[in-house]
Amino acid sequence: MAQIPNLDNSPLNLKSLREQSQKDLVKILKDIRGKKCLVIEPKLGGSLSLIIQTSLLKEYGIELRHLSAEPVQTDCTKVVYLVPSQRDLMKSISSHVHDDISKGLQREYYIYFVPRREIQCERILEEEKVHHLITIGEYPLYIVPVDEDILSFELDLAYKQCQVDGDTGSLWHIAKAIHKLESTFGVIPNVRAKGKASVLVSDILDRMHTEEPMNSSDMALSEINTLILIDREVDMVTPMCSQLTYEGLLDEFLRINNGSVELDSSIMGVQQEGKKMKVPLNSSDKLFKEIRDLNFEVVVQVLRQKATSMKQDYTEMTTTNQTVSELKDFVKKLNSLPEMTRHINLAQHLSTFTSKPSFLAKLDMEHTIIEASSYDMRELLHSYGFEHMATLNNLEKAGLLKKQESKSNWLTVKRALQLVVEDTDTANPNDIAYVFSGYAPLSIRLVQHAVRSGWRAMEEILKLLPGPHTETKRLGFASSPSFATLQGASNGLDKIADGRRCLVLVVFVGGVTFAEIAALRFLSAQEGMAYDLIIGTTKMVNGHSLVETFFETIG
Amino acid sequence: MANVSVAAEWQLLYNRYYRKPELYPLRWKNIDLSRNKVACAPFGGPIAVIRDDSKIVQLYSESALRKLRIFTSSGVLISDTVWKNPGGRLIGMSWTEDQTLICIVQDGTVYRYNIHAELIEPNVTLGKECFEQNVVECIFWGNGVVCLTEGGLLFCIPDFKVMRPCQLAETGTEDLPNCMAVIEPKYTVSGNVEVLVGVGDGILIVDEDGVQRVDGEAVQGPVQKMVVSWDGKYLAIFTHDGRILVTDINFKGVLLEYNCEADENLRLIQSSLPEAVEACIDAAGHEFDVSRQRTLLRAASYGQAFCSTKLDTCHCSATDNLQITFQRDRIQEMCKTLRVLNAVRDPEIGIPLSINQYKLLTPSVLIARLINAHRHLLALRISEYVGMNQEVVIMHWACSKITASLAIPDATLLEILLDKLKLCRGISYAAVAAHADKNGRRKLAAMLVEHEPRSSKQVPLLLSIGEEDTALMKATESGDTDLVYLVLFHIWQKRPPLEFFGMIQARPLPRDLFISYARCLLWFWWPSSYYGHLFDNGGQNEAFIKCYKHEFLKDFFLSTGQLQEVAFLLWKESWELGKNPMASKGSPLHGPRIKLIDKAQHLFAETKEHTFESKAAEEHAKLLRIQHELEVSTKQAIFVDSSISDTIRTCIVLGNHRAAMKVKTEFKVSEKRWYWLKVFALATIRDWEALEKFSKEKRPPIGYRPFVEACIDADEKGEALKYIPKLADLRERAEAYARIGMAKEAADAASQAKDGELLGRLKLTFAQNAAASSLFDTLRDRLSFQGVS
Repeated sequence: MAQIPNLDNSPLNLKSLREQSQKDLVKILKDIRGKKCLVIEPKLGGSLSLIIQTSLLKEYGIELRHLSAEPVQTDCTKVVYLVPSQRDLMKSISSHVHDDISKGLQREYYIYFVPRREIQCERILEEEKVHHLITIGEYPLYIVPVDEDILSFELDLAYKQCQVDGDTGSLWHIAKAIHKLESTFGVIPNVRAKGKASVLVSDILDRMHTEEPMNSSDMALSEINTLILIDREVDMVTPMCSQLTYEGLLDEFLRINNGSVELDSSIMGVQQEGKKMKVPLNSSDKLFKEIRDLNFEVVVQVLRQKATSMKQDYTEMTTTNQTVSELKDFVKKLNSLPEMTRHINLAQHLSTFTSKPSFLAKLDMEHTIIEASSYDMRELLHSYGFEHMATLNNLEKAGLLKKQESKSNWLTVKRALQLVVEDTDTANPNDIAYVFSGYAPLSIRLVQHAVRSGWRAMEEILKLLPGPHTETKRLGFASSPSFATLQGASNGLDKIADGRRCLVLVVFVGGVTFAEIAALRFLSAQEGMAYDLIIGTTKMVNGHSLVETFFETIG
Repeated sequence: MANVSVAAEWQLLYNRYYRKPELYPLRWKNIDLSRNKVACAPFGGPIAVIRDDSKIVQLYSESALRKLRIFTSSGVLISDTVWKNPGGRLIGMSWTEDQTLICIVQDGTVYRYNIHAELIEPNVTLGKECFEQNVVECIFWGNGVVCLTEGGLLFCIPDFKVMRPCQLAETGTEDLPNCMAVIEPKYTVSGNVEVLVGVGDGILIVDEDGVQRVDGEAVQGPVQKMVVSWDGKYLAIFTHDGRILVTDINFKGVLLEYNCEADENLRLIQSSLPEAVEACIDAAGHEFDVSRQRTLLRAASYGQAFCSTKLDTCHCSATDNLQITFQRDRIQEMCKTLRVLNAVRDPEIGIPLSINQYKLLTPSVLIARLINAHRHLLALRISEYVGMNQEVVIMHWACSKITASLAIPDATLLEILLDKLKLCRGISYAAVAAHADKNGRRKLAAMLVEHEPRSSKQVPLLLSIGEEDTALMKATESGDTDLVYLVLFHIWQKRPPLEFFGMIQARPLPRDLFISYARCLLWFWWPSSYYGHLFDNGGQNEAFIKCYKHEFLKDFFLSTGQLQEVAFLLWKESWELGKNPMASKGSPLHGPRIKLIDKAQHLFAETKEHTFESKAAEEHAKLLRIQHELEVSTKQAIFVDSSISDTIRTCIVLGNHRAAMKVKTEFKVSEKRWYWLKVFALATIRDWEALEKFSKEKRPPIGYRPFVEACIDADEKGEALKYIPKLADLRERAEAYARIGMAKEAADAASQAKDGELLGRLKLTFAQNAAASSLFDTLRDRLSFQGVS
């Protein structure tokens, strides 16, 4: 039941990546001698739960607290803040320090910024006149492995900041993260980007190569063959559709957070009234790995079959004489019983939501909306209050709402990329459209084409979608990254000589949904697909969480 | 060279042979050591010479002014300067580990010179007490000094790198010491300096904290002279009666008493080839004479070749092979080392290092000393030869070149510099540029920094040389928002607001980052209930700062003509006013709030694109007025800041239908929305009678479904039944019946709708109910039968 996923089956050595992050953190904590109170920003705490077990932290003489506006209650004289570089948090920390001073408490303060210190934060500490009281450091956590094929940069606000505030700091962070991957796994020779932010990331990455050239020896062994950058802006339709895969639905209704869901323990059949419990959801759970990406309808059938067969085995067990090896097999099957129970409970809980008429109505609506729609913004204000003026303003800047309906390219794109697929067999799918019972996510269609033949074959369609697109090849000369075509290399991706499949890193700038990942895994599992896919994202998102970031009341 | 002469150089001393080869005939002229104070740096370092002012000497054809002169070990003048420092006589002079010359004068002032005879500022003094009593003696060690004053006080600088003087404990004796010696901090248990003071009939150990007298057989009677061994383990004592004793540093017994009796047991060396080869290589290393080095290495090489042929004919083992390659490598290594040593031993360079000294010093320190002596070319060659990074050398060269080339025009000097800098990839152009700027060559600095590829180094330097526009551009290009902020804050502080606005206005990234930051300030500087307690005393001041920041952002938007943004800010202000509990005491709030919104509305109205916002602001102001009136008339403070829908709902819940209607008409709320709101509001207060009446007013524009939903949600099946038959859609009707558990009615409706799928779904809903279940099956069968016929 470990929440930290087992990364043994990862196509990249993500374990070493995670271990490095563990070591970095432990070093920071060890270097501050004696007892200390570690105050972690709650969201960051969530991310860290995928890196290190909290029990491990306590071994270093640490009292653990979550950062809030309330003053820190502790007897420790050393207070260590571990926070992302966000301005708003500086106010809380400053107020803590002021509070201590007013109470005559003398403490040593440390702030470790994740992933790096930023002048805009320090500036606020200066304005609050506490900067000189604080020792400042960095914890360079740029990448968190969420699962064996998912890397998160943990930038929840990336999309909103880029689209609404014009703050592209997160894009630098993404480029830096990829640059770090390259320093471990080799320089990625092919880069394909679609969308404004993606192209910017690709540009910044090129710049980093010019500024800090890598050794030519690093270039030789490049484990990742291609990087595909997709901007969320290119496809805002997909995240707004209800996800219909098992994992997708779990996220829609229960919100998966850092690879686990939290729910009433009674739902999981544990008799502790009112108690909440965390259920980890990652590929270390064999059964989950098998069913996470299936359409939920199918999951129910699979679970039923498994339960029935187990019941049959049990009956045979009690009624007939069994050999020792048959007994052993049975016991082996029994080992999977906790997993079975877990997912039957979860699936049952999910079906209480999916059987509601309102859910079905919503799906109906979504399928119609995939055409086009218009909102009455005045009505929204009347219902939700004028303080949401800023939210509307944000949604408009992000391209989610339009005051005036401009001519949409949607129909052309839909047809050209075959986004709506009739007669989808969700049990034996032959197209990614199964994840939305008939709608093939645009983002993944783009990846499908990009992997297969690059952008060149689909220039016309790309032009209809928001933002520019680029395709670059990088030569193995460290002195100056050159973008000429590699001699002798074909346009498509080449298989690595030793028979391993070569690796494509697909990065979603602005977030990706579980359903989209399911579609990617489906692609990767297809026969004749010569590539393993690994996914990078600013954050795992769904329609709700994405729109939430735009909420900003005037008041 | 004849063997005889080689052997004749060696002299036996105790049980070892020693020799004293002459490395150089010193090239200086007219230097009489007896008239001068001299300081020689170890490891073949420079020699400082100055006329001794404690002696009366006859001046020949020379100036009366004293000159401090610095020579190489070979006596080549490096530099000189006139000594005109105040503070009395020069008492002590010595070189530090990093080849700084320390000169201590009578009043305790410490002057420091580099090897170019340039005074290093600031001067340091040993302290007031020392100033009052003259310094009479200085004892130096590698990196520190102990000074004795006339009054017998001891002062110490434990580390020349830190230059922090301290006083040691007072010895308490009146006599001045006969002699002193120092145990360096690195060899003492305490880690502090310990001074051995020979005074009266014994020896005292003095450190910062106290004085200790040495007991022991070793010291009997006054001591004339003491020396601590280089490794801090032994002490040699010269006694009043002419004996030399060597003791353990802790005075645990005499280890040696010198009585000049030689050990005649010379070891006879049984020569074997590999050992001889080894010995030749080693000897070559220790030899200063180049031709002898050559002879020895040739002999080693010859012997080694012989070794390998001999071994080749036999069955040679792995270890033998290993030894051969090892020897070959050693010969090559030695050649390499000797080339370096011979190069620096050249009289022109004058650093006569022994091989052991070189190994102790390490190549990188040697290179640092060479560049410090401005021997850049040799340093570069050596670093290239020993495979070290040449960056340090080139960087130092570039900086020295800039300092020394005041007369060369910027463009020419740039060419000269670039020509060499490009030799080293990854070298920091920004650092060179910074040096150029420090030397007052701002233009050259700007030209150099243009070549710096790393924006994180380039941008700060551009700022420091005042190239703010370029800095902003480069930071933006880098995509690193942290760098952009660095530039923004810099300009923000230095320039008047309008100029600042002008610089960022046309640049999207800096502009947006500035706005985002300024907004956050505004956001936080407003007092809220939580932060209130912090500002109990300074509330007045706080409000002022907040106001200023806010106005700053407004000024920006006004200067760039973004009126709608100013309007949004005003609108926000009005909300903040509403949330501020301090402000709510006393005067009614809605007045100022509405005024702000009105202002916002007018600003929105200035541009055509914002008619929607303008209309919304107008409605918001109107809503606030109405809500205020409602609060007055109902005496309940629950209206202000709720939405229009909520206001209507609240009115209905309170039974004030007239007010609800008024809000509806004022804001032209659509009939549909009105119906939704009213239906659910009535259900909330469970006024079923009013609901029924409402349903009959006219045919509801939203149909009867919301009525049904509202009743079912409130768990009033009876009430729901009033509206279900009125549902026009048969499927809806069937589902509604099913939801309140009326299987038969549901089945009827579904079969009327002829929807087999629906029947199937409904059957699932009634799965527990066997009777109902079979009913659905029958109906579905009938339906499919109809379908077939």
